[in-house]
Amino acid sequence: MSEKILFIDDEKDFLEVMSERMTARNMKVSTAASAKEGLTIAAEGSFDAVILDLAMPEMNGIEVLKILKEKNPDLEVILLTGHATVKDGIEAMKLGALDLLEKPADINALTEKIRAAQAKKMVIVEKKSEEMVKKIMATKGW
Amino acid sequence: MTDNLTPAPSVPGETGLRYVARVTASMSHEMKNVLAIINENCGLLEDLSFAAKKGAPIEPDRLDRTCRQMAKQIERADSILKTMSRYAHSFDHPEEPVDLHDLCQLVATLAGRLAAMRRITLMVEKPEAPCMVHKHPFALQALLWQCLELAIVAASEGSTLTLIPQAAAVTIAGIDRIEGLNGGMSSLPATITGEGTSPRLTLHLA
Repeated sequence: MSEKILFIDDEKDFLEVMSERMTARNMKVSTAASAKEGLTIAAEGSFDAVILDLAMPEMNGIEVLKILKEKNPDLEVILLTGHATVKDGIEAMKLGALDLLEKPADINALTEKIRAAQAKKMVIVEKKSEEMVKKIMATKGW
Repeated sequence: MTDNLTPAPSVPGETGLRYVARVTASMSHEMKNVLAIINENCGLLEDLSFAAKKGAPIEPDRLDRTCRQMAKQIERADSILKTMSRYAHSFDHPEEPVDLHDLCQLVATLAGRLAAMRRITLMVEKPEAPCMVHKHPFALQALLWQCLELAIVAASEGSTLTLIPQAAAVTIAGIDRIEGLNGGMSSLPATITGEGTSPRLTLHLA
């Protein structure tokens, strides 16, 4: 099953090459060159992971992460940054980010993180389905 | 580089250090972005080579595009490093004639990323005649940087700030509000004019 991911980064050249490399790894890639565009795309689709740049104009990655998590707490977010401080890392983890990777990132490490995000999402979906079934069974008295 | 590393006159140590730290952080961040794009393009070439070994055809146009991307980023990195070198060597001479237009262009380039983060465009007006002052270039940069940082905070997102070199002064136009400016200006030889209508911040360098 191919992973559905969204890249949010203000570096358009970075988005272009990452999109091509991830597509070659059988992933379905969407891209957004601004925080605003990223939030719109994230709200419209269902993604296994969002890969988010930390330093962007308008809104930084931490603010975007906060909004994404408020709207969808199950959404997995991986932060990418040119320079990660310990403070950024702690804040990102507190807000529920899956990880914070430093640029230039190792593609294999990023791919693994995305696959881990998808696996985590599948567990959540299965758990929710199970709960739903149990609820229906209890309602029907089965 | 000369051995003369005496502290720049008229710039308090903390201001100078803050300027160096902010510029270095901004430029190194920019370099990391450049390296990330080059790194991914190298990775893309590896992907294409791997696919070719498995029998997939290599499209020459795809290779050309990747090479062009890398060349573009190398050019970008070269430009960043040239600016950094100019900035770093400004400490070499204690005092010298400084062209304020050149100074504005250098500081605007150094502050480009900081401004872009707030979607602010920086422009430098070319004076009709050269505006020269005999000062320590590093000291002037640190002072102008401090003013520009204040102006960026006091400008609306999406606006344009214009640096106007004048005789022994640099004016920053395009500021929208003066709140927040006053507090940071106490240590600066600067004044605000046009309060209420179109405030301007002028750094006096006489």
